[in-house]
Amino acid sequence: MIVYTASGDTWGIPGPTFLRFYLVAAAVVLTFAVYERVRMAAGSNAAMTADPLGPQQVAYLNGGPQLAVHAALGGLRGSGTVGVRPDRRLTTVGAAPSGLTPLDQAIHWAAHQHARVRDLPKDDRVRVALHQIRNGLEQRGLLTNDSQRARARFWNKVLIALLGLGVLRLFFGLANGHPVGYLLLTLAVLLCIALLMGRAPVRTRAGRAALRGVRREHAHLAPASAPAYATYGAAGAAMGVALYGTAALWALDPGFAEQAEIQRQAISSSGGWTGGSDGSSGGGDSSGGDGGGSSCGGGGGCGGGGCGG
Amino acid sequence: MTGPSGVGIGWRPEITGFVAELPGLRFVEVVAEGVPASGPLPLGLAQLRERAVTVVPHGVRLNLGGAEPVESARVAHLATVAQRLDAPLVSEHIAFVRAGGLEAGHLLPLPRSREAVDAVCANVARAQAELPVPIALEPIAALLDWPDDELDEADFLTEILDRTGALLLLDVANVHANARNRGADPLALLDRLPLERIAYAHVAGGAEHGGFYHDTHTDPVPKAVLELVGALCARRRPPALLLERDGHYPPAAELRAELDALAAAAGFPAVT
Repeated sequence: MIVYTASGDTWGIPGPTFLRFYLVAAAVVLTFAVYERVRMAAGSNAAMTADPLGPQQVAYLNGGPQLAVHAALGGLRGSGTVGVRPDRRLTTVGAAPSGLTPLDQAIHWAAHQHARVRDLPKDDRVRVALHQIRNGLEQRGLLTNDSQRARARFWNKVLIALLGLGVLRLFFGLANGHPVGYLLLTLAVLLCIALLMGRAPVRTRAGRAALRGVRREHAHLAPASAPAYATYGAAGAAMGVALYGTAALWALDPGFAEQAEIQRQAISSSGGWTGGSDGSSGGGDSSGGDGGGSSCGGGGGCGGGGCGG
Repeated sequence: MTGPSGVGIGWRPEITGFVAELPGLRFVEVVAEGVPASGPLPLGLAQLRERAVTVVPHGVRLNLGGAEPVESARVAHLATVAQRLDAPLVSEHIAFVRAGGLEAGHLLPLPRSREAVDAVCANVARAQAELPVPIALEPIAALLDWPDDELDEADFLTEILDRTGALLLLDVANVHANARNRGADPLALLDRLPLERIAYAHVAGGAEHGGFYHDTHTDPVPKAVLELVGALCARRRPPALLLERDGHYPPAAELRAELDALAAAAGFPAVT
């Protein structure tokens, strides 16, 4: 090993010493980050209840607020309660039936005011109803809550800061002609981990398990079976949209779906949504970014609050 | 494995969630060509088998009425499906679906000639040799008679059943359709058929178009067909009745009402 004079070391710290301290720091940060992540994913089983999830809750869990709106719309259309006018605005058919959920009522009201489907998530009553659904799912430990995601994001930021320090050292080291192989290797590994943990999970483990259970129970609604929605009724239509996307709404009533300008979208069983963007309380449910987030697989664009409304 | 009993319904993927929730259901029929020979069974069917519901594979492509020998690969598939479902019997049509390599895409009626009887019996015997369970044969609906018919419907069927030892799958809606479209009496046919050979009976919906009754399987079961079910059961009640619905599925309540009406007409317990 070449022994450098003190003045030759980058920042006055010998390479091996820096690497040793750097690895320790990385291990500490990763431990906290992973711990936070595991705790968040586990959720709190204390709030679990035996109540079965309704279609709108399943939709929110599966595809976020936008899908919950579409699931409610599927149910209302399945029961013939809402229609669409030639100008592509919604309308109601007769009085609101009994037994509607708050989201149903909000959408029914908006349809009565001839709202467009794409504007529904921005409607005040709809937003309040969506927020209720989200709170309910968080309380049941199925969705991660804002403070959990904030803590996860904090440790991720520390990790990125550490990564930045390493990159700085790398450049100085290279400029001084020091060997940087091990540091480069360490940074590559840390970068991979940081990318992997970059997006805070929306669903807890209990949430994913609940979704799998509902999907198993309603396997007959899978598009591969070409389900007879007329037979399964309004609840079947809503659950079909909740689990398998607006493709189910298209199968139920293509004329309505097309006229109301509902994007046809199929959700695979591995489908997810990225809801990390709604850091602000209350406003999150209607953030424009969730439209993209509810699409199958979810593009990376919504991470870290970049596209929140 | 127990034979079909009571009121059943044709299992279709489109309504598997509806069929799964019929508490009293003991019997369904499935289109044999839709069940894979290997790999997992369709989920709904597997669940019905766990409930010990009898599942009868119903072939539609065997071409028992074809002039050429029945294809052994098709019989082998039917046999495999019967084994997979632990079925007490299988069923097929007395019809031809292809000739000279051309697929008709429909079940076509045979001329009721001695030659046709010979051809059907030969094919049924070939199938029986490879099938692990008995076969029930279903005559089909025809809008017209062939000009060179030597036998009437009852003689034609009785002859085939006697010579093959096969069971009868009687389609009550077809009996109605054939009689209605020819101006004949459906009860006269019932009186001459070997009712003791019926394994189960089909009941399906249909509609009148242009003066003819069409056995559509996509419409409600008309009152006249239900009355014919009652007449059949008054003579000799078949062990089981199966509601066939192949499309344009109605709301669950209507489908349940059809099953109840069928049970009531036959004096079977309701399955809903």
